[in-house]
Amino acid sequence: MKRYWILAAFLLSLAFAAGDKLVIAYQGGAVTLDPHMRNETTTLSWQHHIFETPFFYNPQGKVVPVLAESIKNVDPNTWIMKIRKGVKFHDGSTMTAADVAFSIMRAATHPKSQMKAYVGKVSNVKIIDDYTVEIDTKVPDPLLPAHLDHAAIIPKAYFDKVGEEGFGKHPIGTGPYKFVEWLNADHLTLVRFEDYWGQKPDFKNVVLKNIPQGATRVAGLLSGEIDIAEKVLPQDFARVERSGRATVKQTPGVRVIYVAMDYWRKYGSEGLPAGAENPFLNPEARKAVYMAINEEAIVKKIMGGAATVAPQFLAKVHEGYSPNIHRFPYDPKAARKILEDLGYGDKDGDGWLELPTKDGKRVPFELRIDAPNDRYLNDAQIAQAIASMLRDIGIKASVNAVPKKVFFPNMTKGHFTLYMAGWGSMDSINTMFSMFHSKDPEGLYGRFNREHYHNPKVDALIEKAAQTFDPGQRNDLLVQAMDIAMPVDVAYVPLHYENVIAGVAKGVDFTPRPDEYLHAFEAKKK
Amino acid sequence: MLRYLLIRTVQTIIAVLAVATLIFLGLQMTGDPMENLAPQDMSEAQVEELRKAYGLDKPIHVQYVRFMEKLLEGNLGISFLSGEPALKLILERFPTTLNLVLVSMLIAVFFGLPMGVAAAIRADSWVDRTLRFLSVLGISAPTFWIGVMLILIFAVNLGWLPSSGLSSWKHYIMPAFTLSLYRIALFLRMVRSTMLDVLNQDFIRTARAKGLMERVVVYKHALRNALIPFITVAGLQFGALMAGAVVTEKIFAIPGMNRLALDALYSDDRPVIIAFIIVTAVLFAVVNLVVDLLYALIDPRVRYA
Repeated sequence: MKRYWILAAFLLSLAFAAGDKLVIAYQGGAVTLDPHMRNETTTLSWQHHIFETPFFYNPQGKVVPVLAESIKNVDPNTWIMKIRKGVKFHDGSTMTAADVAFSIMRAATHPKSQMKAYVGKVSNVKIIDDYTVEIDTKVPDPLLPAHLDHAAIIPKAYFDKVGEEGFGKHPIGTGPYKFVEWLNADHLTLVRFEDYWGQKPDFKNVVLKNIPQGATRVAGLLSGEIDIAEKVLPQDFARVERSGRATVKQTPGVRVIYVAMDYWRKYGSEGLPAGAENPFLNPEARKAVYMAINEEAIVKKIMGGAATVAPQFLAKVHEGYSPNIHRFPYDPKAARKILEDLGYGDKDGDGWLELPTKDGKRVPFELRIDAPNDRYLNDAQIAQAIASMLRDIGIKASVNAVPKKVFFPNMTKGHFTLYMAGWGSMDSINTMFSMFHSKDPEGLYGRFNREHYHNPKVDALIEKAAQTFDPGQRNDLLVQAMDIAMPVDVAYVPLHYENVIAGVAKGVDFTPRPDEYLHAFEAKKK
Repeated sequence: MLRYLLIRTVQTIIAVLAVATLIFLGLQMTGDPMENLAPQDMSEAQVEELRKAYGLDKPIHVQYVRFMEKLLEGNLGISFLSGEPALKLILERFPTTLNLVLVSMLIAVFFGLPMGVAAAIRADSWVDRTLRFLSVLGISAPTFWIGVMLILIFAVNLGWLPSSGLSSWKHYIMPAFTLSLYRIALFLRMVRSTMLDVLNQDFIRTARAKGLMERVVVYKHALRNALIPFITVAGLQFGALMAGAVVTEKIFAIPGMNRLALDALYSDDRPVIIAFIIVTAVLFAVVNLVVDLLYALIDPRVRYA
């Protein structure tokens, strides 16, 4: 009898040992464990296990205090931040204001820091007492708390002792997991930090792996080597569900896939026939393109349900998401009529709409659609679908899908007439400034507004919002700006939000975050 | 012999410097590295700061001189992304790729060579025809497809083998087979045709006329002569695999240097790209040298004096 007990205990311990380990497969890997040097989703995802920041977004898109306790701004350029007490670093030392001041300044000023888009406005961090700092900014930044989500706190004393290189080899933070061992961009092994200040994660041992090939991630999930697989492809959904070993979890993400059109050149837009007039200067023509696209069909047939139809540029979790904006109905007949009424009708009877040229002739409405073919889920196929929908209303559209390395430089240089791309940022002020504000000579605003969308009213609202410290008021201003830019001006045609997808093994409870970060400490045992 | 080695070493150094120059200049033509290096949300001023920190703000000729100076000291620069020496990143992963390629080459030689001999001595028999047919399959099946099919069968359906990584002997089976399949077929065809060639020559007839055992004729006289082209091809294949196992490394998530180089290419991490190409160039030079020395071992007529 006793022997059976021993056997049972042994089996039980095996079961527990197995259940204590979590293996996550990512599509990429962290290229550095220095938390201020690389601003890229997978690298940060891996680092978030080791490091924490004063504030962070929760899965609902709200900014919540993490290592900070509270923050208030005393004047537009000065903030007082209280720091959480009793937080330990992995080496056992206690986190104080000195560590916080050092870390924020490093993220803000290190020559190679990639976090300056977030904390670059910080001019100084003063230590008031052990658990209070004063943060000074060069210009007012109402979103400073949110921007501190990119300022990982590292232990100053340890860093001073081991130096930059030593720190990268054995990083120490306050996070729920401790560093064990890693191979750059391949895998990172972690163990639970038992002195963690917050709620301790369910899984004791964690391995984060880089498995670039989608089919291999799914294979690992189905064979039981992997517990959570990032970015399962739609063609594998059925196989995962059928296996009985794992299930596919989806969350609408913050990345919107959109179509943009050239609205700054009357002639000479590269995607149109030589010498032809650019019809997209007129918001009505942009609306016609919008109405010609059957987005429901794209989500269903091309995305395999792995996307959510986007009524607007911002997503529901964003500040500035407007409840007043709805999609224009899909109506190809009305779309064609709009273009005919604008004078682009088919006069020679060959079925294609026509464009007038500079020298008074008419040419068929040929249009080159530009898109990347390796950046977004099924990007080239979406562009193909849009081309065929535009052909249905009489635009002779063709697709030029190229690798992202070729696509993005050309997009920056403004070589396109109508193109498809994506945008994902949690920070709505950043989105509005980059995509909706008109370009200014200093290059501060409208940096990604390559189509030169320009509306002084929208500019004014964005600028005002960026100076507004009250979150409610700021949201209202952004909503007002969006209510003009999307339905009236048709600045962009939103297509869909890419869903964030993860394959999750049966014994694990996990829901993906909309911002695409993937954390082991958010996984629970079932 | 020593003199020969010395000359070859000097030649290699010149070749490496030439390759380094070509790569450096070639990369300049691929556009602005900051497009891929800098995060999208940085302002132009911040991007310029970052460019300066990476030393990419200087004129090309200044960058080139600095690059060559460091290269002569054996310093291939610091990876933009990881902040670690580029050469260290490559060498860290070199053994992984080397192990995988060695195992694959062993499998390929172990199967390809005897099969080639077997096909040659029984030319146009059913053995020969079957092997030739299989070799066509082996040469034409794409690596990507073989890899994925193996994973589906042995990792997902049967659950016998792990699908990714390279941490135990079990991990080697699928990727090594994926890589060796093409080489087995290639060696088979190559050995078969050279063997047929040799077997028809006069000295073989003489050997047979002398009354030597067929086994001795085939393995001692014929095969030895057929080995010279085989070794050349095998050496080249070894080099090609070391620098070209990228698809296999990606499918099986193997932390080899090819995958690192591919990632570096995507993110424009130029020091890593350059380090990879220089390591590969040196490797090719060494392999060629070894092949040349092997000639002398197999064929006593070859002398390097």
